[in-house]
Amino acid sequence: MSSAIQEAPPAERNGTELRRPSRTLRYLTLVMAAVLLLGVGWTAATLVADRAPGDESAEAGFARDMSRHHAQAVEMAMIAYAKGQDPAIRQMGYDMALTQQAQIGHMQRWLQEWELLPTGSRPAMEWMPDAVPVGQDGLMPGMATREEITRLHEAQGAEVDQLFVKLMINHHLGGVHMADGLLKVSDRAEVVRMAQAMKQTQQKEINELRRMAPAGG
Amino acid sequence: MSISTPGGPERRPTVVSTGKKPAAGRPAAGAKATGAKAGPSKSGSAQRAGGGKGPRKPITPVKVSQGRSWGPIALFVAVGVLAASIIGFGAWATFKGSQSWEDKAADIAGIVNYRETDPESLTYESHQSGKIEYKYSPPVGGAHNNAWQRCLGDVYDAPIASEHAVHSMEHGSVWLTYRPDLPAADVEKLASVIRGNDFMLMSPYEGLDAAVSLQAWGYQLKVDSADDPRIKEFATTLAQNASIEPGVPCSSGNYTTGTGTEPRELAPPTGG
Repeated sequence: MSSAIQEAPPAERNGTELRRPSRTLRYLTLVMAAVLLLGVGWTAATLVADRAPGDESAEAGFARDMSRHHAQAVEMAMIAYAKGQDPAIRQMGYDMALTQQAQIGHMQRWLQEWELLPTGSRPAMEWMPDAVPVGQDGLMPGMATREEITRLHEAQGAEVDQLFVKLMINHHLGGVHMADGLLKVSDRAEVVRMAQAMKQTQQKEINELRRMAPAGG
Repeated sequence: MSISTPGGPERRPTVVSTGKKPAAGRPAAGAKATGAKAGPSKSGSAQRAGGGKGPRKPITPVKVSQGRSWGPIALFVAVGVLAASIIGFGAWATFKGSQSWEDKAADIAGIVNYRETDPESLTYESHQSGKIEYKYSPPVGGAHNNAWQRCLGDVYDAPIASEHAVHSMEHGSVWLTYRPDLPAADVEKLASVIRGNDFMLMSPYEGLDAAVSLQAWGYQLKVDSADDPRIKEFATTLAQNASIEPGVPCSSGNYTTGTGTEPRELAPPTGG
């Protein structure tokens, strides 16, 4: 600053020009003020306007909880793929397992980009607009119990198909419900897009599962 | 604007006053020093007293105007410091928010980072069947069995094979172990941290030298109380992040404790 002020006076030649330093200072002040305002504005914009979803946001809750919800579906779908009797069940198992595992990857990537941990500090589903309580067993709506999963692991033949259809319809209903919860409160483009896609896919799969086992569905 | 306006009227007389001195810079420098001592507002009026006499020389005003700029400079500095602190705070907040999980882990008091202190113990050639001798108890990484132990927030109420748990940790899970004689209430407290959280599992562990020991691949934390807040801190910071095979699942794998600490050879494809 002092060097800038020193430069000004040599321009002086007579009394009227003595005001020049003040004018220069005035310009300098203006420029400085503009630069500072820009800096402050930029900082504020970075902090507020372009902020990624926070640790307790619905988006983060969705990414975490849907990842967990999906992980169990992947386990069930892999059993269906490996042991299902009906080729259509095996095909569906393959489809669901790969799709949902890939979607887990998408959701985990969001959390990384938002600089959040994969595990939240708040209870599961707390972010949902209708505040879904999660049972003592820690299972979110639609999820199978450990015992049901074990039964599916140990089932043989047609029992695998029946059990898979029953458990996966429930699981998808829970998944659609969670996607709906996100859609009610979020306008974050990539998350909304994913939730819409999940909802549509899982609704169609529910229809398909019901057709496969009219008795069990 | 507010800075330059008061400075304007003061400036003119000052320059005039120095004009009567010989062209040299010395006296002017002295005037500047006086002005600086007197403070920004006083320096202007003091020098103004000598104003209006004779023509000025072109050189001297340089230093005089310097002396009179203390007011604006002080304001500049004040505003600058304010702005810099706002920007600095923003930068700090951004930095703090983006602190890596490794840094967060390093901040946990008492954590041992074997990735740094003993990376050799974490290396292995390939999956290995049968019992494996581990250097640390409970193990924190290294060779392991083909099958992993399911780690979808599984709470096992009986010991499991380390050979499977180490594989789970390779997948990024946090393995919480506790002394089998812990009161049920304590075990339930621990379970509330693990249950329902993917990439976590817990089981009792015979011969543990602490009430609770948490492991992730290359990391360990031993604590003496189930109430220790570092338990949750360790679990949430390292789960999944500590994976050395990003994207790998915790689903399937072994899900029973049926074989105790004896590893289970080549599980069927679905992990049964």
